Amino acid sequence: MFDRPTIIDEAFVRRVTAQDFPVARNHAAAFQVPAHKLVDLFDSQIMSRHLDLWARRSKGKTFYSIGSSGHEGTAAMAAATRATDMAFLHYRDGAFLIQRKKQAGGLTPLYDMALSFAASADDPISGGRHKVLGCAQTFVPPQTSTIASHLPKAVGAAHSIGMAHRLKLEGALLPNDGIILCSFGDASANHSTSQGAFNAACWAAYQHLPMPIIFLCEDNGIGISVRTPGGWIEASFAHRPALHYIGCDGADLNDAMRGCEEAVGYARARRRPVFLHMRTVRLMGHAGADVEASYSALADIEAAEAQDPLLHSARILVEQTGMSGDEIVARYQDMRARVDRVAQDALAKPRLETAAEVMVPVEPKFGAKTSPPLPNAAARDALFAKDARNLAKPVTLAKSINFALADLMLRYPNVSLFGEDVAKKGGVYGVTQGLQDKFGAARVFDTLLDEQTILGLAIGMGHNGFVSIPEIQFLAYLHNAEDQIRGEAATLSFFSNQQYRNPMVLRIAGLPYQKGFGGHFHNDNSLAVLTDIPGIIVACPSNAADAPGMLRESVRMAHEDGRVVVLVEPIALYHTTDLSAPDDGGWTAPYVAPDAAQIIGFGEPAVYGMGTELAIITYGNGYYLSRQAEVELRAEGVDLRIIDLRWLHPLNDKAIIAAVADCKNVLIVDESRRSGSLSEKLMTILTEAGRGDAASRITAEDCFIPLGPAAELVLPSKASIIDAAKAAVA
Amino acid sequence: MRQTALVVCPGRGTYNTTELGYLKTHHATRGDLVERLDALRRSTGQIPISELDGTEKFSPATHMTGDNASLLIYACALADFAAIDRDRYDIVAVTGNSMGWYLALTAAGVLDFDGGARLVNNMGSLMHQHGAGGQIVWPIVDADWNVDSGKENLVSALLAEASINSSIQVHISIRLGGMVVFAADDAGLKWLSERLPKDDRFPMRLMHHAAFHSPLLDHILPMAQAANPLVDFRSGAISAIDGQGRVWSSQAFDVADIYGYTLGTQLNRTYDFTRSIQVAAAEFAPDRIILLGPGTTLGAPVAQALIASGWRGLSGKADFLARQISEPLILSMGIADQRTLVTG
Repeated sequence: MFDRPTIIDEAFVRRVTAQDFPVARNHAAAFQVPAHKLVDLFDSQIMSRHLDLWARRSKGKTFYSIGSSGHEGTAAMAAATRATDMAFLHYRDGAFLIQRKKQAGGLTPLYDMALSFAASADDPISGGRHKVLGCAQTFVPPQTSTIASHLPKAVGAAHSIGMAHRLKLEGALLPNDGIILCSFGDASANHSTSQGAFNAACWAAYQHLPMPIIFLCEDNGIGISVRTPGGWIEASFAHRPALHYIGCDGADLNDAMRGCEEAVGYARARRRPVFLHMRTVRLMGHAGADVEASYSALADIEAAEAQDPLLHSARILVEQTGMSGDEIVARYQDMRARVDRVAQDALAKPRLETAAEVMVPVEPKFGAKTSPPLPNAAARDALFAKDARNLAKPVTLAKSINFALADLMLRYPNVSLFGEDVAKKGGVYGVTQGLQDKFGAARVFDTLLDEQTILGLAIGMGHNGFVSIPEIQFLAYLHNAEDQIRGEAATLSFFSNQQYRNPMVLRIAGLPYQKGFGGHFHNDNSLAVLTDIPGIIVACPSNAADAPGMLRESVRMAHEDGRVVVLVEPIALYHTTDLSAPDDGGWTAPYVAPDAAQIIGFGEPAVYGMGTELAIITYGNGYYLSRQAEVELRAEGVDLRIIDLRWLHPLNDKAIIAAVADCKNVLIVDESRRSGSLSEKLMTILTEAGRGDAASRITAEDCFIPLGPAAELVLPSKASIIDAAKAAVA
Repeated sequence: MRQTALVVCPGRGTYNTTELGYLKTHHATRGDLVERLDALRRSTGQIPISELDGTEKFSPATHMTGDNASLLIYACALADFAAIDRDRYDIVAVTGNSMGWYLALTAAGVLDFDGGARLVNNMGSLMHQHGAGGQIVWPIVDADWNVDSGKENLVSALLAEASINSSIQVHISIRLGGMVVFAADDAGLKWLSERLPKDDRFPMRLMHHAAFHSPLLDHILPMAQAANPLVDFRSGAISAIDGQGRVWSSQAFDVADIYGYTLGTQLNRTYDFTRSIQVAAAEFAPDRIILLGPGTTLGAPVAQALIASGWRGLSGKADFLARQISEPLILSMGIADQRTLVTG
């Protein structure tokens, strides 16, 4: 009863030999796929099925046993699309990938899939790091589609096609008439991430922005053990604004091809989103470890198996090609033997053997592109024609970022800037003011209010040659979307073995001390959600002198190396002008043009002062407050230096140790919470370097930020820094 | 137990002095096949195949020109194919090099024996009459048959340089395992000969060969299509892997597509034999690779293609030769000892 793979396998042979086929379960208008195409699709289906069967038989040798059985009708979508139609796939789309790679020619879909199942280091997409469905040559970025997290970036990629066309973007990878395919299961369709993606696509299409995307919902009626209510998907999606709904039967190759071709034709011609609802069945449970009988009645399991799409395909082959049941079974058995042979070769291939091997693609490939030359002076003069007065005097942090963004957008035609309120309003704090006027609505635009969409847009655009500079309005707003960085952007290089990149410089206004509006959500002081992610870079410019250089380095790394860079900008310092006394202008700096500016390299901390009695290690507002404290401390005889980390993740251990090497004492000033803040890492670094006894720290409390003046009670202040510094040197 | 086999069909230039009498020696019992080919040759006023094979002396001017060599090789190879002991070997896929693609089509059942013969004979004659330019072979591997990246880079650099030199035409004709076969016009051949470093016999000009698989043969396409009808093409019985590494599985393709490739892209674009071998080996995992005669020259390119893809851990020439002794990967029907393992 429990060996469903064997039961399904034997039933196919028995029933097809006897020509005992299930009755056609759809009655759509007649649509007949040519005979040779049916055979071709059937080959992909049985190749995928035998791979699943092999995986189930080879426990311990193959991994991540989630299969494609019952979903083999997706091969029809591969047949209906072009190899340049980028596809973000559901984990049950083995047959799609096989069919697409077959059509491309010169590729080895069976062998590659076997290598992937076996976690071989030779697996051409992930190098043995995950059983993902992907192929660099046929525009299938690697996916596992665990929680529908790939839908926002698919929407982003679809949006990028129209943008690239409009901007005549050099280096765009997707053709102007391309479409995007994004597939997922019926259970995932309920996920807030996918709902956000549907909404964003409709929001764009509703206002006639190009959105050539097919959402392929593979509805097998169950998510692990939870049944999807009957009719739910159709009821939920058939009448959404600007979303064209099509239904088809994935178990029936004729109807699957009809639905797929209709969907592709609509999306390609009209540049509008399509929801293709493909009915499938799930065979062999959710995954290898899932005992379906523990939650499903045997009758239900058998009912699904009776609708095995391979049985329907065999029926159609007999009806339309003249093949006999015996011929079909012979083809099925030949494929079994072929898959088994290839599988043995794949199992003999080496797996990843060292941590160093595994970690190679944590970071993308360096220097894959070069930056364009600096624009000439005339172009720059024209760009800043209206800013001459501001350019001539020292500027705030906010203004320095604004000017730097303008310079960067002039230099890099593939840079695009977007977020909530960034365009017309110029950002909540005015940081992006005037940029839309300078660069137009195609490059600087307002998004809908959905952080997952913003980040997905950045990732998807990165798949088409753009370098995005998305903005998250407040650090606290990142959290509902952080998986787009953690699970998607950060992992792409890893799961694609450096073949795919999603370059971006994510700007986030954040950190505490923001007065006026106040409250926790506009004063979030936790960076931990970002600073444990392998491969990404987190930076924090604290002042107008540093911010332009750090932004330039960030965009350079994104463009040339494909890096994901997060710039956390301290809101409280955006418009701060003075340091020690009113009108001293101590927190402003002249904006230096890119050709004259000093380069601030990744990982370089700033060191203020030469003192050797005390080194304060800090960043952001902590640096500002420490600089304020410095005047009084020095007056009291404390000989100190202050180190602004600038680059918060990964921390540059060597540079930090070197910067404090000749200091007797070290004080860490961290505006983030005591638990989980950088201060913990810094203490560890110092301790491991033998400086633990000399180190102490002052941090925010393990608390949320209250409203009004009470906020200061839980944060480091100038006074508390002075006290801590004195204690440190006492 | 039957072993699985990939069959590789030879291309032009494989019937040389040592192959004279190949049909007579190995296929005396297959006179009916040869007679059908002779009838075709007589109908077109060409020298019969049996006469070419049976002559006392090998004459390059006769035996190596396209109009004669092509069908002569077809006869030998298809007769070899028929001689494979099918009780011992289950042929899971076929492929071929260059003209060998036509032979592979016949072995795969896409063309019948007579249709394949007409195609080969027509194309051999067309190339003989209308072919332009020539071919130069140059090795890109080291002594152990591993790709030498320096040589590979030189090939790329030469192609890039040639592409901006309007006075010459130079292309990659065939990727042949450890060798690159260039196709070029006369000026391009001279230019290549001057630039490619000399090493033993290389660079080697292939006599009686045109600039096959290159845009220099664009003019051949309409003639080829006019001379060879679509109706000769069928849906096949065995999977065939073409010169782009594409798998044509029986009944799973539109015959117009395979016709379009065979008498289109295949003629005027690079033939990637290396890839075809790599795809066939990876996707069909055969126990053995059988090289049809005449000749033995494809053995090294097949092994080199497998070494380049690390097939079954194959690391180099020495490793390959050692395995050939212990458990041969390649059985070449042009080598007597290996032939007996194939024919039983």
